[in-house]
Amino acid sequence: MTSHLLLDGVSKRFSNYHAPALNAVTLDVAAGSCTAILGPSGSGKSTILRVMAGLDPVTAGQVLVDGVDVAGLTPERRGMGMVFQRPLLFPHLSVLDNVAFADRVSGVRRSVARHNAELYLDMVQLGGYGRRSVRELSGGQEQRVAIARALAARPRVLLLDEPFSALDPELRSDMHALIDDIRSALSPTIVLVTHDRDEASAVADRIAVLHEGELLQHDTVDGVYNRPVSVRVARLMGGLNEVPGVIVDGAHLSALGRVGLDAGRDVCDGPATLVVRQEAVGVRALGGDVSSDDVVGVVTGLRNLGPRRLLTIRFRAAGAAVVELNAELPPGQGVEAGSRVAVTLPPAAVSAVRT
Amino acid sequence: MSIQARSLTADPQRADVGRLRLPGDPGSRLTDSRGAGRVGRVLSAALLAAWFVVPLVPLALWAFADRWSFPAVLPSVWGTDGLESAIAQGAVPAFWRSLALGLVVAAIATPLGAAAARALTMGMVPWPRAVGLVLLAPIALPPFAAVMGLNVVLLRAYVPPLAGLVLVLVVIALPYTTFAMRVAYAAHDIGFEEEARTLGASPWTVLWRVHIPLVAPALARAAFLAFLVGWSDYIVTVIIGGGTVVSLPLVIASSAAGIGNDSAVAILSLTAILPPLALLLLLGLAGRRGAASRRSRPDPDPIDPRTARSRLHEPGAAR
Amino acid sequence: MSLAPLPGRTVRAGRPGLRGTLLVLPAVVPALFVLGGGIGAAVAQSLGLLPLIGPVRLSLDAYTAQAGALPVSIAVSLGIATASTAIAAVVGFAAALVIVSGRWGGRIVAIISAATVTVPHLVGAAAIGLLLADSGLLPRLLGIDADAWPRLVGGPWWVAVVAEYAWKESAFVALVVAGTLATRVASFDETAALLGAGRLKRLRFVMVPLCLPALVVSSAIVFVYTLGSYEVAWLLGRSYPEPLPVMALRLFDSITLTARPEAAAVAVVTTAISLAVVALAFLALRRTALWR
Repeated sequence: MTSHLLLDGVSKRFSNYHAPALNAVTLDVAAGSCTAILGPSGSGKSTILRVMAGLDPVTAGQVLVDGVDVAGLTPERRGMGMVFQRPLLFPHLSVLDNVAFADRVSGVRRSVARHNAELYLDMVQLGGYGRRSVRELSGGQEQRVAIARALAARPRVLLLDEPFSALDPELRSDMHALIDDIRSALSPTIVLVTHDRDEASAVADRIAVLHEGELLQHDTVDGVYNRPVSVRVARLMGGLNEVPGVIVDGAHLSALGRVGLDAGRDVCDGPATLVVRQEAVGVRALGGDVSSDDVVGVVTGLRNLGPRRLLTIRFRAAGAAVVELNAELPPGQGVEAGSRVAVTLPPAAVSAVRT
Repeated sequence: MSIQARSLTADPQRADVGRLRLPGDPGSRLTDSRGAGRVGRVLSAALLAAWFVVPLVPLALWAFADRWSFPAVLPSVWGTDGLESAIAQGAVPAFWRSLALGLVVAAIATPLGAAAARALTMGMVPWPRAVGLVLLAPIALPPFAAVMGLNVVLLRAYVPPLAGLVLVLVVIALPYTTFAMRVAYAAHDIGFEEEARTLGASPWTVLWRVHIPLVAPALARAAFLAFLVGWSDYIVTVIIGGGTVVSLPLVIASSAAGIGNDSAVAILSLTAILPPLALLLLLGLAGRRGAASRRSRPDPDPIDPRTARSRLHEPGAAR
Repeated sequence: MSLAPLPGRTVRAGRPGLRGTLLVLPAVVPALFVLGGGIGAAVAQSLGLLPLIGPVRLSLDAYTAQAGALPVSIAVSLGIATASTAIAAVVGFAAALVIVSGRWGGRIVAIISAATVTVPHLVGAAAIGLLLADSGLLPRLLGIDADAWPRLVGGPWWVAVVAEYAWKESAFVALVVAGTLATRVASFDETAALLGAGRLKRLRFVMVPLCLPALVVSSAIVFVYTLGSYEVAWLLGRSYPEPLPVMALRLFDSITLTARPEAAAVAVVTTAISLAVVALAFLALRRTALWR
């Protein structure tokens, strides 16, 4: 189940009147790793999985599994297991026979197939459920059986198409733990499609950000959040802070003043937008003492975000445009609207992207 | 927390998400056949099409054949003798009688079946299984048996033959209308009607302006099935009608039982086929237009929340 | 296909009560009257309880009078029904598969079979007669002389009758089975393919089991219909032996006073056989796990 998957310049067009669903996507999924494809609805996420599985043909480019182009192979021969958003358990088979389906279809004897199926059911913690009918299962249990069924086919790559989006949030974290268990037991190559950022960061090693058919960034979780390659990626990941300005001498100049940039980043001079996660911005209420290197602003907005709060802080430098920063405050810190606060931007969390 | 950015170009596949995906649809690799497989598929489709069409061919040929002696493959003389003979045998009044019968049966059986289907689907009926069984039973029982017995009862109760005929035909059509509407109500979302009530519509308004338009396609299908029952019936008309109601099937039967009437029989048969076919065509076209208009509804114009918010903060922007 | 409320769906109007009863009553009362009254009256007539004239006397004379001819008629009716149902089921299933595979061929077959369903049986009988008779279109096309052509209409094997039923009812089966398949086929087909099943395996392990309930139900409907259908057997069949409906109607129209109860007796026998077939179909459905 540990195979290397490579999409090389894959494009997919459904008709000549619409924009392409996938536009020259190159994606390299290392063997045994878990990649989450993240994007809003309509970004082409489901299309990319269907193209990997062979359910739709590519218009251009290649899909390579372990270095071999799978273009000529029908879905039943590609060895890609897929779990959809709806579990689609066969209603005419019991739970055990569902999981044993792949074996039965390849000619394995019923008793052997059922024995193997039991093992996979145990792996998804539904050990005694084999004899039940699929109608007796809850949503979460159905999805577990669907995963067991796909695993029992011993696929080379496991494709998951928003498998948990129909489940309650509490169930979802159980499912994430299940994925971790499966990874430690079988080390499969997993490609997971989701529109939920938290799910992508919880489950995957690397995140591929897809938007309108284009792959914007394929990086580790930390890279996608803290070192986005463009403003679009930062927005898609929920970043709220964009400060226009210019890079001079390895630092970013804007209405916030001079913000130092890490040496490892792209620090050539020129116009650039400063992006920083709202969670990373440090806020300190001013008691009256202002030191010269504090960046001082006024709190203009305050909103509750669960137990934390989201502050909107306005900075005004002489002659320059107004700049606003959003910062998340942990619980307990008392800051009121209209008060003056000093803001710290840790260099490790700050990124400058070319405009 | 999920992504709020919207996309301007929707995935075309997602736009069709309401439509049925068949395995052979364009874009799908699943049923591509190469070589022998494709030949087999085309051949089987052609054979099946021929199977369904072939029996109707002699009807079309005989309809306008004045003389067609054995063993010629095509009629030797074409003409309208068959038409004249059919009219002489009473085709025109029989046609109108059958039409009226079909329409009356449809008009009665459709609302009855729809109401029953709605009550059953919504769980409002005590002993739903028994009720369902009663409404489905006419399919399971031979109509001539019930009719033979009922004839005595109707005669003794002095029920006029036409009324008795309509009654029995409606009951025979009920399983079809009830089942067709049941399928529709299973997919029907009562939320639409509840929403209309909260917007101030009276129950009557909700019925006319929300409920019926939503199930209208299914109502049309159910009405069509009921019409077919009334239009095509023979045995019930013979027994209960007792000879007073001469519908088109009766004229066909008497003509076909005779000898030398082949072209008249063909004309009468074509007359009996064309109205239902026309209705079927209407149904199909109306259904297609409804689906097309649903599909071409444009996506709402998306506005990036960031753009909206930053616009609000521009100096001079109206609040 | 039970008419009980579908499970798993939020049924919000949901309480059994007066309103539901009132909605259902206009349909149920006529149905009970026609079915119950009709069958009941037929049973009563056959037992001598509803004579046209003369005293009311419970007896089984109506049944015993026909005891000689009944078994033959039953055999003929059952034979016709079985043959028609078998052919209709096979052809209808094949047509459903073609319809559901989409593409041009499937669409054409779907349209043509929908058109075939609308043809009245009487018209179908006339058409088949014009096709298969000695002077029909088929012998002309094949160039076979009238004497050499086998007696398909009114012949010993009831070929024309079975052909008409099989032809029309195969369209019905095709539409019913295609309707059931179409709602599930694409997604389950993909799932099965992704689990490694090729085309034939998918047919055997997924498609056939999924449409078995619809096939059983529609076959039962076809069987019961052909068992109780009059016009086709009368028009295309031979005069002896008679299938049950033809026999019943002949007795019904006869002027002999004892004929009416005997007709009713034949009708009751036919009804009993139909009920038995329906019960068998129910049992068969129970065994397929898809019954809802």
